[in-house]
Amino acid sequence: MLLALASVFFITLDLSDSSSTSQIRRVFSTVFSPIENVSRVVTRPLGGAWNAFREYDDVVAENNRLQEQVALQEGAAVAAAASVRLSQELLALNGLPTLAGINSVTAQVIGETPTNFSQTVEINQGSNSGVKVGMPVLNAAGLIGKVTEVFADRSLVMLVSDPDYALSVKVVTMSSRTPITLPPLETQDAPSVDSVLDTADTTTSTSTTTTTTTILGFTPSATTVPAEVVAGGGSNITVPLASQLAVRETGILEGRGPGVRPIVRFLDASTRASAIEVGAPIVSSGGSRSLAPPDVVIGVVSRVVERLGTAGPILEIDLVADLSNLSFLRVLLYQPITESGR
Amino acid sequence: MFDRIIAAAASRWFRLVLVSLLVLSLQTTLFSEVRPFGYAIQILAIFVASAGATHDVYVGAIAGLVSGFMYDAILATPLGISALVLGVVGATAALMLQPFRDPTWWLRLLVIGVAAALGEVVTPLLKAVVGLDGWLEWRILGAMSVTFFAALVFAAPMISLARWTLREKAIYGSR
Repeated sequence: MLLALASVFFITLDLSDSSSTSQIRRVFSTVFSPIENVSRVVTRPLGGAWNAFREYDDVVAENNRLQEQVALQEGAAVAAAASVRLSQELLALNGLPTLAGINSVTAQVIGETPTNFSQTVEINQGSNSGVKVGMPVLNAAGLIGKVTEVFADRSLVMLVSDPDYALSVKVVTMSSRTPITLPPLETQDAPSVDSVLDTADTTTSTSTTTTTTTILGFTPSATTVPAEVVAGGGSNITVPLASQLAVRETGILEGRGPGVRPIVRFLDASTRASAIEVGAPIVSSGGSRSLAPPDVVIGVVSRVVERLGTAGPILEIDLVADLSNLSFLRVLLYQPITESGR
Repeated sequence: MFDRIIAAAASRWFRLVLVSLLVLSLQTTLFSEVRPFGYAIQILAIFVASAGATHDVYVGAIAGLVSGFMYDAILATPLGISALVLGVVGATAALMLQPFRDPTWWLRLLVIGVAAALGEVVTPLLKAVVGLDGWLEWRILGAMSVTFFAALVFAAPMISLARWTLREKAIYGSR
C-alpha cells in the first residue's frame, strides 16, 4: 500500500509539472546514458541479425520499388523545387515567414520506444544543440512529431501517431474537384486594381495565360501578363474569383496509435463534408500559440467522415512521412512567440 | 563508516538497482528494436515477475517499484506509472505462487508469463486514469500475447538472475 501511495505521489507531482521530477529524470539520464550506450554497442549485432532475418525480402522488394519511384520522380522534383523556391521568394518579398528562414538541427534516430504504449523515438541531439521541448520535428517528407523530453545530448520525440499528440492544422481544398480550366478573361471584365492605383501616365497592353492543373490544393487562374509597357496607360492585374480560391478549414490533428490513421477534428460545424476532398493537403496552421510554424506539410485527407447534427466532419489523414522507417530527422529550432524566452 | 558503506553496497537492494540498470539498458536497446509482430518484448516486466515468483510479495513489489521508477525516468510518461505497474506485476507473480508450497518449474514459468502480460493491461488502464487516453484498444491483446510467450522463453535466465540479485546472504554479511 505504501509503495502504491509513493507511486501515486510521484504521478501527481509529475503531472503538476514539478521541477523536481525533471531534475530526477536529468540525473538518472546522466547515470544511465553510458550504460545504455555500451549496451547499444554490444546488442547492435543481435538487433541487426534479427532485422536481417525478418526483413531481408521486404527490403529487397522495397529497394526495387523505390528505384523505380526515384526514376519517376526525378523530373517532377526539379519542377517542384523551382515552385518551392518561387513560393519562398514571394513569401520573403511580402515579409511572411517561411520554413527556409527557420534554423534547424539534423538528428539521427538512435532508439525506438521500449514500450508498447507510447509512440516516441530517441534522437541524438539535445539541449546542447539548442533543442527545446515542443519543437517540431520533420523528415524529408514532412512533419513527424514534436520534442517532448530534452537531455544534454539526446531528446525524445513524440510521433504524430501518438494519441497524446495534437496540433492545429489547416485543410487546403478547392470548391471543385475536377481540374479547372479558366477561359481567358477579357482584360476589361477582370477585376482590376486600376481604380486604386494612380497609374495615369502609363498604358499596358496585356496577354492572358490559362493554366490547367490536377494538383489538389493549387488553384489555377488566368494570369495577365503585360506584353509591353506603353506610356500613358495603366497596368491591369487579374484577381481570381472568390469561388475559385482554395478553401481553408482549420482543425486539430490528433494521433490514434500505431497503425491507425490520425484524424482532424473540431472543424467548423458549418463545414460541409462535400467541400473537403479526399487527397486535399493538410498543413500546419501556425499562429502565435502553435508549436509548429505555418505550412509544414503533414499529409493528405484519405477519408471524410460526416457526422450528424452540429458536429463538423472528421477527416482521416494519410501522413506523408513514413513513421515506421525513420532515420535522419530535422528539428526546427522554432518556438512560438508565446514560448520564446522560456 | 566505511564498513557501513561496504555493507550497503553489498546489500541485495543495491544489487537490484545495478541489475535493473542493466536489464533496462537491454530494454531500451535490443528489445526496443527486436519487435515480434510489431510489439516490444517487456524484458523488464519479465525480470520483475521473476523476482516476485522466486521471492515473496514484498520483494516482488519492491523490485517492481525500483525498476519501474528507472523505466519512468527514461520514458516521457508521468513518473510513477511504470513503478506502479511493475509493482503490481511483481506482487501478482508472488501472490499467484503463494498457494503452492513447492511450485513446479513450468508453473513458475506460466505465472511469470501471466504476471508480465498483466502489466500490458495495467499500463494503458493507468494511463487512461491519469488522462493519457487512447491506448485501450485491441492491440493490447497482441502486446499481452507477445510478452507472455517471450516470458516463457526468457523466464529461465531471468529466474537465475533474480535469484542471484535478490539472494539474502551478501558477501559482507549485510541483512
